[in-house]
Amino acid sequence: MDILTTLNSTIKNFRGFLAVLIALSLSSCEEIIDPDLSKADPVVVIEGSVSDQSEVHTVKVSKTIDFDQSNSFNGVAGAKVTVYSSNSQTYPFTESSTGVYKSPRFRGVAGVNYVLEVITGGKTYKANSLMPTAVKPDSITFKKLTFFGNSKVYPAVYYTDPAKVQNQYRYIVKVNGLFTAEQVSEDRFNDGNATSDLITFDGDGIKPGDKVDVEIQCIDRNVFKYYFAISQIGGNGGPPVAPSNPDSNLDNGALGIFSANTRSAYTITLK
Amino acid sequence: MKYFFLLSLAILIVTKSSLAQDNYIINGIVTDSLSGESLIGVTVKFSGKTQNGTSTNAYGFFSYKLIPGDYTLTVSYIGYRTLSRSVTINSDERLNITLVPDNSIEEVIVTAEKRNDNVVSAQMGVAKINLSEIRNVPVIFGERDVLKTLQLLPGIKSAGEGNSGFYVRGGSADQNLILLDEAPVYNASHLLGFFSTFNSDAIKDVSVYKGGMPAQYGGRLSSVLDVRMNDGNKKEFTAEGGIGLISSRLKLEGPIARDKSSFMISGRRTYADAFLAFAKDTSIRKNTLYFYDLNAKSNYQIDDKNTIYVSGYFGRDELGLNETFGFDWGNATATLRWNHLYSNRLFSNTSIIYSNYNYVIENFIKENNFKVSSSIRDLNLKQDFQLSLNNSHNVRFGLDLIGHTLAPGSITSNEQSSVNEDNIEKRKGNEVSAYISDEWEVNDKFNIVYGMRVSSFFLRGPGTFNEYNSEGKVTDTRSYGSGDLVKSYYRFEPRLSASYLLDEFSSLKISYTRNSQNLHLMSNSLASSPTDLYILSSNNVKPEIADQVALGFFRNFNEDKYEFSGEIYYKTMLNQIEYRSGTDLRGNKNVEADLLYGEGRAYGLELYLKKRFGKLNGWVGYTLSRTERRFTDLVGGDWFFAKQDRPHDISVVGIYKAGPRWTLSSTFVYNTGNAVTFPAGKYQINNQTYFYYSARNSDRMPDYHRLDLAATLEAKPGKKLQSSWSIGFYNVYNRKNAYTIDFQDDPNDKTKTQAVKTTLFGIIPSVTWNFKF
Repeated sequence: MDILTTLNSTIKNFRGFLAVLIALSLSSCEEIIDPDLSKADPVVVIEGSVSDQSEVHTVKVSKTIDFDQSNSFNGVAGAKVTVYSSNSQTYPFTESSTGVYKSPRFRGVAGVNYVLEVITGGKTYKANSLMPTAVKPDSITFKKLTFFGNSKVYPAVYYTDPAKVQNQYRYIVKVNGLFTAEQVSEDRFNDGNATSDLITFDGDGIKPGDKVDVEIQCIDRNVFKYYFAISQIGGNGGPPVAPSNPDSNLDNGALGIFSANTRSAYTITLK
Repeated sequence: MKYFFLLSLAILIVTKSSLAQDNYIINGIVTDSLSGESLIGVTVKFSGKTQNGTSTNAYGFFSYKLIPGDYTLTVSYIGYRTLSRSVTINSDERLNITLVPDNSIEEVIVTAEKRNDNVVSAQMGVAKINLSEIRNVPVIFGERDVLKTLQLLPGIKSAGEGNSGFYVRGGSADQNLILLDEAPVYNASHLLGFFSTFNSDAIKDVSVYKGGMPAQYGGRLSSVLDVRMNDGNKKEFTAEGGIGLISSRLKLEGPIARDKSSFMISGRRTYADAFLAFAKDTSIRKNTLYFYDLNAKSNYQIDDKNTIYVSGYFGRDELGLNETFGFDWGNATATLRWNHLYSNRLFSNTSIIYSNYNYVIENFIKENNFKVSSSIRDLNLKQDFQLSLNNSHNVRFGLDLIGHTLAPGSITSNEQSSVNEDNIEKRKGNEVSAYISDEWEVNDKFNIVYGMRVSSFFLRGPGTFNEYNSEGKVTDTRSYGSGDLVKSYYRFEPRLSASYLLDEFSSLKISYTRNSQNLHLMSNSLASSPTDLYILSSNNVKPEIADQVALGFFRNFNEDKYEFSGEIYYKTMLNQIEYRSGTDLRGNKNVEADLLYGEGRAYGLELYLKKRFGKLNGWVGYTLSRTERRFTDLVGGDWFFAKQDRPHDISVVGIYKAGPRWTLSSTFVYNTGNAVTFPAGKYQINNQTYFYYSARNSDRMPDYHRLDLAATLEAKPGKKLQSSWSIGFYNVYNRKNAYTIDFQDDPNDKTKTQAVKTTLFGIIPSVTWNFKF
């Protein structure tokens, strides 16, 4: 388990400590409320990625919706979406459904910088992302974490971090086909070592018989910071911080993220 | 510095020469008749040809100049019988006075003595907490607590439910200078802030300055909390303590040499983890979670001119999980003091102070073993002189030298571990300050305290120091050797506080204060954590500066039975610090790259009405305030509400002496919710709901209110043993106050989002048995 994961679980344990106190007081509770929320003008949201797989890459362009509306993708049609690469390639994207733009099939290359350009509503939004070199896992398995007599099982990724380079990792975990967790990590404390990342999430952990899909991405620094900021709002890495929009690599005030990343996916089942 | 010594010399010469006049100096110490404990802030008056007086300093000492004649000496202090006697002055005299504690509140009413210091004194923005009030005010878990009682005063706001952290006049939690016997306490709370580090058994006196700080205090922007420990009973051995649901405590004190020397030692430990021993699962039983505190003090009065004090505090929180993981943190402080009388008018105190805060996180599992440790250590020398120049000038001057050593974090690990050993460079800085102030009674109506504090800060090597531009990119890197000067700052801090008596019962006061701060807490979170990171001023980070102007009206009613004050203040703050979103403060070697600098302003009105004695006493406080921040890189450079902005704040405290054995008490608090940021919209990334935030801190948490009740029953006094039962109810009407509001997808219907309010404490009963023998 890497140090940051441990520090996180420290804080979680710390809350467990608190939970014991609260249990003593027998009075903590949660309830659904209806706060008075301000409404803002819709803002452009762009989510896009280029991977090192030979595939059709997707860029989504949408706008924010009000909090009390149903969760839905509020796609923006008619945008001009293009990806330029530092090795002089141009990839035009075409709209496949409202707000969803697809590239021709191509494979991203490590060490190449990709520039996303989206033109919509008379404005041009740009972002760039450098595809890192892929780090393959040594193994993916399960690990038990015990806290206050509660044992829970989580997936763990074992890998050897390349020395003297700054590496960032992102994990997406699906349990029985359902999205369950995403987590980012970095090599600040274990650069160049054989190490492991435990992917923890709320709930009961992995149960025997669960089929677990783990996607491993190597991401660049700005993408890492974006997802890290998101996780901080949720209390990762300490007490929850005051929420704000994470710093996006897109310019011109757009929300969202553009990531050139490597990608590998594995499926394991807990016996 | 040279000028400072010249000035000191000049003052000494003036003292010597003025002795030639036909005046005599009366000085002495005021103590408690039962315990021999010196009393702080006692009013000492001589009525005869003149009608003035003085008050005792932090060591119970006073000095006063009189022309020969007959006087009536009146010595009064809240909670004590007023002493009145005639004295004839025809020589310099040492007058050591003992006051008899007065336990029956009713009798105090009949004393004709005026208790209008609050009106007459030039000092404003100060509040003193009476220890007997702390004893009676109801608190969560029945743990009486200085910091939580303090939060019931206007202008001082709680940092959260059950939290001992506090905000003063729009400042943040790290802008409070918290001193325990002069030693700074960096993390004044236990257990996520639910308990303060101050065990009220060990405490004699608590003063808090919200503005108009006297020049001897410096180093923090918004307040000074000066906590003094008990010296120890000089007359007899006593033991006292309490057994509660959450913790127990015990204090022992007594003479070492009667009337000359005494000691006090006081300890406290929680035992929430004792319940774990009953767990079925053996792995749970191996967990530890508790905190403990130790306060100790001893003094030795060598002669009438020399007294030595040694005091210390040690407290730790321990959290351990089943031999796999450990986390502990705490403060240690030590103070060595020497009181010396150079002449009968020049009182000197020299203090050598040590303060250390550290935390250690350890993972014992072999393949990812590591140990992270971090600390802040201060060594401090203070030299303070108090000179009664004549009866209308009390001059105070001194020097304050501090050496800070910050070790943000070092990581050690074993051979097999995946964690690399690492070390973030230590940072060293010196603060050198000199101050002088004069408390001047201009005439019968006009009193003024004016002074100047000159503070300087020197950041020193060894180490590598980066220079960053506004985007956080390194523009220059330099290495410095041990002791090399990296950066220095000088600040002039004028201090002024004045009162003008409108009539016998009322006064107008005005104050102006400038403060600067060179230690900065990096926190953007909604709660305090033991791992909070402090940094020093540096080549990138400028000292924080605050200027505050306050105006006040003070009036006493009904023969000083009621005390009223109204104060308005306006405060500006420069070089305030926030950090960019997504900054990871843990183990970060380049924290300064991610900092943003801005300004702040705060203003408000504070009303306070107190009934000081009688069967029923207590107070009502109301604060109307606003506090805002502005950063070029946040919300387009517009002003936004600081997280501690809370426009209305009301507290009501009532203590009722129902009979010779029963005391009932109650507090009610109401405040507007804090400024927070709620989503203004939402969007989808990777098929997950993300929230969109438009304006920073433009939303409000729901209003907070709560009623607490407590009752204390004194057992019939036994021969030696005195005991009492305290029963309390926190949040009597079980108000579901919001601790957090979280936004998330509805777990039952993924097409919807919901807001979830978490309430921490509903009604909580508590019971404590206290004893003394």
